[in-house]
Amino acid sequence: MVNAGFYLKRFYTIVRGEVLVLPSRIIVALFFIILLGLPLVSQNPYLIRVVILTSIFAILAASWDLLSGFTGQMNFGHALFFGVGAYTSALLNIHLQISPWGGVPLGAVAAVLAGLIVGIPCLRLKGTYLALTTMAFPIILMGIVFALPDLTGGELGISGLRRLSNSLLGNYYIHVVAMLTLCTIMWKITDSHTGIIFHAIREDELAVRASGINTTRYKLLAFCLSGLFAGLSGGLYAHYMRIAGPSTLEVSMSFSVVIWAVFGGLATIYGPVAAVFILFPLLEFVRFWPEYRALIFAVIVLIILLYMPEGLIHWVRDKIEKECPRCKIRNVATRNTCRICTAALD
Amino acid sequence: MNIIITGLITGSMLALLAIGFSLIFGVARIVNIAHTAFYMVAGYCIYVLSVKLGLHPVLGMLIAVVVVTVFGLLAYKFLIDPIREHEAAVLIATIALAMIFQEAMLLIFTGDYLTVSALIEGYFILFGVKIFYQQVLTFGVVLVLLAVLWFLLMKTKLGLAIRSTAEDREVANLMGMNDSQLAMITMGISVALAGFTGAVIAPLTVLSPYMWMEPLILMMAVVVLGGLGSIKGSFVAAYILGFTEALVVFLIPKGAFLKGSVALSIMILVLLLRPEGLFGIVFEEER
Amino acid sequence: MKRVTFGWSFFVTVCLVIFISVPVWGRTIKIGVIGPMNFVQGKGHWNGAIMAADEINAKGGVQVGKEKMKIELVKSDSNEFLSMTDATNAIERLITSDKVDFIVGGFRTESVLAMQDIAMDNKKIFIGCGAAHPEICLRVAKDYNRYKYFFRGTPFHSGYLVRTSFAHMGFVGAILKKELNIPKVKVAIVAEKAVWADPMVEAAQGVIPKMGMDVVGVWRPSDKATDVTAELAAIQKAEPHMIFTMFSASVGITFSRQAGELKIPAIQVGINVEAQKDGFWEATKGMGNYVFTMNTYARGVEVNELTKPFVDTYIKRFGEVPTYTADTYSAILHGLVPNIEAVGSLDADKIVARMENEESNVPSGRIKYEKDAQGRPTHDLTWGPGYLTSLGVQWQDGKLVAVWPNKWVAAPGAPEVTYKGMVPVKIPPWMKK
Repeated sequence: MVNAGFYLKRFYTIVRGEVLVLPSRIIVALFFIILLGLPLVSQNPYLIRVVILTSIFAILAASWDLLSGFTGQMNFGHALFFGVGAYTSALLNIHLQISPWGGVPLGAVAAVLAGLIVGIPCLRLKGTYLALTTMAFPIILMGIVFALPDLTGGELGISGLRRLSNSLLGNYYIHVVAMLTLCTIMWKITDSHTGIIFHAIREDELAVRASGINTTRYKLLAFCLSGLFAGLSGGLYAHYMRIAGPSTLEVSMSFSVVIWAVFGGLATIYGPVAAVFILFPLLEFVRFWPEYRALIFAVIVLIILLYMPEGLIHWVRDKIEKECPRCKIRNVATRNTCRICTAALD
Repeated sequence: MNIIITGLITGSMLALLAIGFSLIFGVARIVNIAHTAFYMVAGYCIYVLSVKLGLHPVLGMLIAVVVVTVFGLLAYKFLIDPIREHEAAVLIATIALAMIFQEAMLLIFTGDYLTVSALIEGYFILFGVKIFYQQVLTFGVVLVLLAVLWFLLMKTKLGLAIRSTAEDREVANLMGMNDSQLAMITMGISVALAGFTGAVIAPLTVLSPYMWMEPLILMMAVVVLGGLGSIKGSFVAAYILGFTEALVVFLIPKGAFLKGSVALSIMILVLLLRPEGLFGIVFEEER
Repeated sequence: MKRVTFGWSFFVTVCLVIFISVPVWGRTIKIGVIGPMNFVQGKGHWNGAIMAADEINAKGGVQVGKEKMKIELVKSDSNEFLSMTDATNAIERLITSDKVDFIVGGFRTESVLAMQDIAMDNKKIFIGCGAAHPEICLRVAKDYNRYKYFFRGTPFHSGYLVRTSFAHMGFVGAILKKELNIPKVKVAIVAEKAVWADPMVEAAQGVIPKMGMDVVGVWRPSDKATDVTAELAAIQKAEPHMIFTMFSASVGITFSRQAGELKIPAIQVGINVEAQKDGFWEATKGMGNYVFTMNTYARGVEVNELTKPFVDTYIKRFGEVPTYTADTYSAILHGLVPNIEAVGSLDADKIVARMENEESNVPSGRIKYEKDAQGRPTHDLTWGPGYLTSLGVQWQDGKLVAVWPNKWVAAPGAPEVTYKGMVPVKIPPWMKK
């Protein structure tokens, strides 16, 4: 009893000292709690469905950020990884009867291979060349899908897949927990030594190379990691929809990912996740006005970008928090002095 | 023979689009995804002016080009210029812009396919191949436009300014060139080119709000293949991909749908050998 | 003054909302209409459905047991051409938020498969009005207990589409032979690159020689191609007399227009969805003259006594001949409603049990649900004389007229079939040298 009380108290201290001091951390904690607790409030299948799909796309958008936001390797063909993950997992499920629990990770492995195949030649390219070249890959794969209708089902796709779970709540928790875990992992990666090198490559590749780091290897690593997570989300998508079709490879899919990530704010991981959680339900919300749906969506994106070209999350974060000029620790915007080093904030 | 003619037509169209795209990229570093959307809007303008209002098609085309250019300039001034420093944001803004155009056209004209009548009906036979007069006209207009453009870029002061900015923006700026104003002018030229492409191609094709997607990919492939910012490169690459498409259709008729994939594969192959494209300038790392 | 106006309009709005959401007659039958509402196909879905609903509600509604229920339609834009995710969300919303009892619609096969799964999860009757792929109904046979709530409303599956078009080819081929005095008719196959056309192309290559004609080549342009001059030049070189077309998208316009403009000396027969629409003449600027396509409805043709009232009312109300997706009309009026009334409840299982064995007359013929070779119900539509045959229509100088079935003998020894209102086929004048 005493022990439990001790841990409870310690937990409380940690929460107070580490979470409650910063609004952004409070928001993240609330986000976790709300997502995990949502089924207690409502089990409306439509709502659950929207949240599940949002989670899947959140993984995808974050994985794009990991590659393009951090290393600056603009990838306009992210649908490639998504589609490869979806198709591989679907093919394994249909032809070899591998359960989705095995198929999704294997699909992700295939997406890593796709990352290597795309990454190795593309390393020679830079900036816009890279962006426009990567855009071509999913289109080429789509041509292959159409050319082999016996294997891939062509335009029809591969249907009749098994779901990860048959219950509504089972599916909900699998996808939401997967999203929370994977995004946390991605965030941790970007926070690690590797993540700092990724970031440095974006800022000044020459300088990184001059410091004796093999940037090529790190860029390839970014391609693979990003492929891994995108492949996972593709596999999840295929099994949740129970169909893997050519729509997973469409240009609009690649574009959506970029829109989400840039809208949220590059090189943050949580930015794209937040953007998906805002934009995807928004698209569903304007369903009551069906004719203007896409128009409203585009106008909102355009206006937000006009006022917050850095992305929504960067803008919000700068409004509610200040960085200490001395120790670079973030503080609530209402404070006058830094919470660590007590230097005056401006 | 068929291959040559089809390749020439497709290539010319791609060349017009690609050069416009390449120009604005070269001068202002703007990747304008909405470029082909302007071409779609031009097509619809012509439809309204010549079919609905009954104006003479040529007049309709000229007005359409002007209208589209104005649209382009307004879009640049109010939507792109304020966020020009953020490359990623500009990119998304142009995608959003293209979507807005698409949805607006969808609302006004519905998703039904529309067509515009040709300026000159009929066809003639050359070496056993039937060719539309309209195709020849298109080809002619493209050549004239390209000549005008060449003259503008190579022989005028404005052209010199545009070229020098494309080569090195900072130095050009230091030499007293108004970077922002120049970008605006280039945007005008670029969109006008897209408008002209829409104008000459509208009678040959079917109008739909989604028609901007297909040429977009190929146009980008052309630009990348030829080397970003290089007008000559875009020109040559457009014909290379145009001929590739025609070859695919003729040699493997059952695989005609693969033409896009094959063209893109060629682009990737070339890039592997020459990362800066065929005629690309290696940009100094911009820090 | 301004404030008063605002208050009034607010009051009226509230009243309207209450009026709409709490109807005085109590419970209604909610039918979800799902389709790509920004496109012709979805408009067809919606138009057909409101016609059916209005007709039924004008008669007081549906007699369910002792209660009289009105029909309430819920429109849902699946946006399925652009986003499959949207389509599945839309149907989920229809079922779980709007709480509809039945669903009609759907077009693109990839999304119908995904939507089917969701409807089946919730055990809702879903009548598909648009996708032609056999796979959709094979699922019913394979896993009856899960998929039994799905029925095909229109069109009959692509295997039968092929047989109908072969009948069209034979029909036109015989006329060509007689009028042009040629020993053997040569055929070029042109099909858009889409899954539905793949088995048809294969079948056509096998069957055409057996029909006493030659295949000179197969071309597969993209379904959204905007320029097919390359293909046309190659086709012209192969010198066919007939071009067997399979088009469902915009390439149908491009192909017919450019072929007509180049005066390719061959007649186009087959399926060209764009040519089924009234706007085709305008869209091809008259170049689509003499194009022959399969169709479900045409002005002035009577398949049975239901055809004329339906087509006439539809033209009067919407200003155009119904396309086949407007068969949501018969799916509701002749499919769902009689079965609901007979069963006397909205219980899906009971309705399915009755519906799959019931035959009914609809404006396009007679509906009978099939069973496969092993006797398992597939909920697919029966094809053939006496059931659904569809029509062959041809553009003749600005008018879309019906030309088939005209003295059609489906099998040796079978009676001749001719519907009321047929006219003879015209061959393009530039084919006669």
